[in-house]
Amino acid sequence: MLVVRGVIAAGTIVSGAIVLVEMLLRVYAGWAILPGAVLGVAMIALGIYRLRQIAAVFHARKTT
Amino acid sequence: MASKSSTAKPELRRSVTPWGSFSWGYSDVGADIFVGLGLVLACAAGATNVAFLFAGVVYVCIGLAYTELAATYPVAGGGQYFVMRGLGDFFGFIAGWAVLLDFTIDVTLFAWSSVDYTSQLLPALVNSIHPWIHFIVVLGLVVGLALLNVIGVRESTAFNGVVSALDVISETLILCFGFLFAFAPHLLLHAMHFNWPTPYQLMLGTSLAIVSFVGLESISQAAQETQRPASIIPRTSVALILTILIFALAYSNLALGLQPWHPIVDAAGHHLQFWQIFPHNADNQGKAVALLAAQIPYYGVFAALYVPVLGAVLLLISSNSGVFGSSRIAYAMSTSNLLPSIFQRVHATFRTPAISIVFFAAIAVVELVFSAAPALYPHAAAIYARFFHNENGLEFLADLYAFGAATSYSFVFLGLIALRMTDPLSPRKFKIPFNVPMTFRGERVDFPIVAVIGFIGIFSILIFTLRTHPLGRIFGPTWLLLGIVLYLVYRRYRRLPLLRSQPRDWRATQVDILRRSGELELMDEYVASVKASDARRAARGT
Repeated sequence: MLVVRGVIAAGTIVSGAIVLVEMLLRVYAGWAILPGAVLGVAMIALGIYRLRQIAAVFHARKTT
Repeated sequence: MASKSSTAKPELRRSVTPWGSFSWGYSDVGADIFVGLGLVLACAAGATNVAFLFAGVVYVCIGLAYTELAATYPVAGGGQYFVMRGLGDFFGFIAGWAVLLDFTIDVTLFAWSSVDYTSQLLPALVNSIHPWIHFIVVLGLVVGLALLNVIGVRESTAFNGVVSALDVISETLILCFGFLFAFAPHLLLHAMHFNWPTPYQLMLGTSLAIVSFVGLESISQAAQETQRPASIIPRTSVALILTILIFALAYSNLALGLQPWHPIVDAAGHHLQFWQIFPHNADNQGKAVALLAAQIPYYGVFAALYVPVLGAVLLLISSNSGVFGSSRIAYAMSTSNLLPSIFQRVHATFRTPAISIVFFAAIAVVELVFSAAPALYPHAAAIYARFFHNENGLEFLADLYAFGAATSYSFVFLGLIALRMTDPLSPRKFKIPFNVPMTFRGERVDFPIVAVIGFIGIFSILIFTLRTHPLGRIFGPTWLLLGIVLYLVYRRYRRLPLLRSQPRDWRATQVDILRRSGELELMDEYVASVKASDARRAARGT
């Protein structure tokens, strides 16, 4: 189950990166890309947060 | 011994697990986008995603504040308790009373919207065509949920968990298919450039967007019933905050840039963008996510069938969170002598605050009558049209929801700042980032910059609400005034200080809170910090 969660978290990071790049490619539109860019950053942040939690669980299992 | 056990005061059970804690919050906040999306699209048009972004940034600040406070003070009172500890009894009451308004609105608003989503499959429930059937079904849901909550919480949390999981999967699939097959960035940019709203509409849309982020209170409400809250609450809250923010931003961007699978035309035969079906159409506003899901290529065939059902169930759970939350706040306010003691009576068999549940469900029914009146009675519709900008039932509820949320959250930020200054010794397993270290009354404290930013943001939303919501600016302050009168009468009757706080031993209370929540290491840490602080003061001679 933890592996599945890890894959989902990694997918979230990749999706967020795609959204962020898509928005940055349209930087000519000015501030209109801001909501999309924040969306990408939030997805990356959530993915990293989940991966850190999963890593902590793995670490705890290894040490006990 | 037998006598002691028979007279022991019943307490709320600690039956909410980590996933249960997440799902209580998710089922409340996560459902908000089902209601908020259509309302904001109708008002903010091409700036819908900007409205959600502004409200979302404020929401992140609120979420972080609640996470820190609920982990530090894991009691059932939520916002009102934090404000009471930080600013005193009177302001604690105002914050709590505003939250109570929100939760009673939550019960009605989400039951109402649940029926709207169901109407996508059952046209007999469409409000504009069959208002009486719509009203009776919503009424039945509110009464039914009240009875469910009188029976107990354990069954509800298990159900919440399953539906929340289904919804997260479903919303993710809709977004994946939507962005892959139906999202046209040029449509998004076109909508933003050529359909930018007036400042008034943008303020209205932003104040309604905060509706999509209300409900973190549920997590702190569940804190008293969560196992090891100081550890669990931050873990679930941060994931919840980011998940909700992502869904809100993703849905608003997708809705503006959606290339409809099936052409949408108006009465004159003109092609419309997806978001253009919401202004001046209350039926559509109430079921925006179901309408969007049906316009997703390929997946929409399947989504059109199940999203209305899933949305209806999730909204019903959110409505249930309102019943749960209002009864727990009233319970906590009563134990703090902010409300009459009748609200802290726990049912001997079910161990739930049955009287609180029934009382606030009754208020929810009164709000339902007010919101349904324009559709049910032509005379009421004429009054609403003349004095309240012709607001419909959904907008009436959203007005009050935004007012209650903005008021209580404003006080919570002030409470957080005050507690950082006056109670630096309580162990904070989670602390909002970006703090300025300083010394206050001889103790090292961290001044929270994020709380100041959040306060400015939510206070501006409160101003937007009062400026743009004709019903909110009348009924919201009226609710607060009625509450203040009730509070003053009760405090006078009990011979308690009216505007000042009654004396409390917060140190002993904090030890008791940590002991009861099972956070024994934190309790020891707190006791040691207090002793060290006292020793420092004695050494200084203060």
